[in-house]
Amino acid sequence: MTEMLSYDFMRIALVMAVLIGLTAPAVGTFIVQRKLSLLGDGIGHIALTGIGLGLLTGSSPVLAALAVSVLGAVAIEVLRARSRSGGDVALALLFYGGLAGGVILTGATGDGGANLNSYLFGSISSVTPADLYVVAGLAVVVLGIVAVFGRELFLLCTDEEVARASGLPVRFLSVLIAATAAVTVVISMRAIGLLLVSALMVVPVAAAQQVTRGFRSTMLLAMGIGVLSAVTGLAGSFQYDLPPGPSIVLLALAVFAVAAAGGAVLRRRRTVAAAARSTVEAEAEVLGG
Amino acid sequence: MKSDTPNADALNTGALNTGAPPFAMTGGRVRLDGREVLRGIDLTVRSGDVVAVLGPNGAGKSTLIKALLGLRPLSGGRTEIFGVPPARFRDWRRVGYVPQRLPMGGGVPSTVREVVSSGRTARRSRWLPALPGDRAADRAAVDRALEAVDLADHARESAHLLSGGQQQRVLIARALAGDPEVLVMDEPTAGVDAANQAALAGTLGALTGDGRTVVLVAHELGPIEPLVTRTIVLDHGRVLREEAAVTGDTVAGGTAA
Repeated sequence: MTEMLSYDFMRIALVMAVLIGLTAPAVGTFIVQRKLSLLGDGIGHIALTGIGLGLLTGSSPVLAALAVSVLGAVAIEVLRARSRSGGDVALALLFYGGLAGGVILTGATGDGGANLNSYLFGSISSVTPADLYVVAGLAVVVLGIVAVFGRELFLLCTDEEVARASGLPVRFLSVLIAATAAVTVVISMRAIGLLLVSALMVVPVAAAQQVTRGFRSTMLLAMGIGVLSAVTGLAGSFQYDLPPGPSIVLLALAVFAVAAAGGAVLRRRRTVAAAARSTVEAEAEVLGG
Repeated sequence: MKSDTPNADALNTGALNTGAPPFAMTGGRVRLDGREVLRGIDLTVRSGDVVAVLGPNGAGKSTLIKALLGLRPLSGGRTEIFGVPPARFRDWRRVGYVPQRLPMGGGVPSTVREVVSSGRTARRSRWLPALPGDRAADRAAVDRALEAVDLADHARESAHLLSGGQQQRVLIARALAGDPEVLVMDEPTAGVDAANQAALAGTLGALTGDGRTVVLVAHELGPIEPLVTRTIVLDHGRVLREEAAVTGDTVAGGTAA
């Protein structure tokens, strides 16, 4: 542990892991509830074209990825709203276009192979303090959006028609949540890699919802699971010389497996307890304990 | 259309459209996937009305109330909410929509209290932080709504684990939390057992007693029947007949499934 902290890049990476662990599940809770679990995946593919553009033009790959993936997210939302039945195929076209474009563009830079790999699967040894500042700034933006628009996004993700009949700007909010997901993808890509980035938006939420009763508690628990798996996954990858992204994701999946088993027991008890309470008050204690 | 609201001049303190009826549709047509679901509906819902929309499956009942709210675009005709077309209507806090069910979404749970509290969203500015008074008012309104549907004891439970009838009451409470003048309910009695239907009728009775306007869709009225002031019977996207209920037992004998 102390040895790990004596490296500059590890200190930076650990701070990054905390930021990723907080932001990805916070946005992910809304994304999962909207049944868009694979949205982050798609944005990750599109972001790759941004990386390629950044490398090719000699500008910052992170900022180029940010621009391209936010544009891609807006495009996805527009396509989804426009075409009810054909939206699925339109999304696929966008995803594969982004991936293919990214590979071609990074290939054109010459030493693209190694570079591409570090973006696809994450590479923490190359992160710089400048990267950390960008990530920290973006994380503040994402958490700020969740704080300011959380109530409206909750209603939107619960029932879009009710949100509309409550006078909420449904189209704006839909684009907002997609764009926020895109920013989260860019935050997480250095540590986790574009191919696994959406796992940290989805898996902690899937784990948390096994044992929680409310939306807010799900989000908070998912953020806790996110930080836990990001930090321990990173430390483990340093200790045992494993790639960080897959380590983090496998840890999150392990938490999910435990939560799913525990949640099944918990729900059974709750259902039995609720049924007992509504028939005979006195029996609830016996069955619940 | 506005000329048939006799009390328009009596209410001159509010906005221009204070006297306009909650809903007014003329020649309303809706097309879904190439099929004409509503084929020329004329319907005016006046303040204080309790309107039941009846009819067989596929008659267009749900589509009609969604069209009234602007959730389904019209392919012909026009409709207004308090005198304003839905696209330009801004005063949504006057309207409470109770959908047929609480969607599961991606399976993220919500507590009963969280769902009901979201009915206050239209009343809050997104930019200004809530003042302590606002929060207290929100809490009080949510408490009142939970009391009204008799779910105060379940506030901390997961809404999706409740029974169908209880979930229906959660959705009604969400609409009530915003304290709307008009309630639009899509099949509030569907899948609700007799005891819960009676409880629902009690809740609705208290609401209409306060002078609220209600538009509801139903297969059969059951215990709600005495509250209803007017029934609209739809079939194949047209109004088959419309009758005022002078006494509760003269309405809609033949159409109940």
